[in-house]
Amino acid sequence: MRLATERIRELARDMNLTLSELLERAGVSRTAYYSLARKSSVVPRSIDALAAALDEPVSGLLEELPPRVVAAQRICAQDPDASFENVWHVLTLLEMNPIERLNRSLTRGRTTTAHR
Amino acid sequence: MAAPPPLTDKEQAFLRALVEEDVRFLIVGLAAAALQGAPAVTQDVDLWIDSLSSPNFRRALKKLGIVYVEPTMQNPPLMVGEGAELFDLVVHMHGLESFDQEAVHAKKIAIGDVDVDVLPLERIIASKRATNRPKDRAILPVLEDTLRVLSRRGTDD
Repeated sequence: MRLATERIRELARDMNLTLSELLERAGVSRTAYYSLARKSSVVPRSIDALAAALDEPVSGLLEELPPRVVAAQRICAQDPDASFENVWHVLTLLEMNPIERLNRSLTRGRTTTAHR
Repeated sequence: MAAPPPLTDKEQAFLRALVEEDVRFLIVGLAAAALQGAPAVTQDVDLWIDSLSSPNFRRALKKLGIVYVEPTMQNPPLMVGEGAELFDLVVHMHGLESFDQEAVHAKKIAIGDVDVDVLPLERIIASKRATNRPKDRAILPVLEDTLRVLSRRGTDD
């Protein structure tokens, strides 16, 4: 499977982005992008081999990452100083309402004290 | 059986009484950070009250039968009574401006059905940096990462 470079350009255009702007937003360097674009297959050879042995398309062997993980990866790609674990945790907490977040923090505080 | 959550109806009633009596206060410290999404652990909720001697504050306490204990050389100011145990009174925040200057930038956050003023995460970080105890330094990366996420979400929204 090759990188669908024309499709990527089209999708970027639909969002009023140039390719450079898209790469910047995604936190992907031009070197990394063009290196992928030149490859005859972006799928590791072992996955291609597994797919062939199973007579399945490669896409049938892959699972999508949960949206929260993708969001955390995107933030960390744009800000290398960020810790993936912290970012993922914050995104998890932001899905709760404030009182749940506070109660969770206080409950863990109590547990920490009880275990001392 | 699981223990009840720390912030029960009684604690919410306490916050509601402060709001209803127009007490000027901010939730600060790690509870404020947790309210804004930081994965921070805390044992109490710090309240920065503009004036502990204000009639409004005393009225709010009286309403719920809570007793205020003046600070001494050894002890900070205290509140005694049901619903108040979880809260600590803060009279000074290291590294921050006056209450009035900080309150201008407060974030309104709903705790159940009570909207309270909360010190923004940027200012919590400023205070932790100024206090600079080992436990403050330990939590700073977590708070800074939380701020990164909130800034990013603000940009994306």
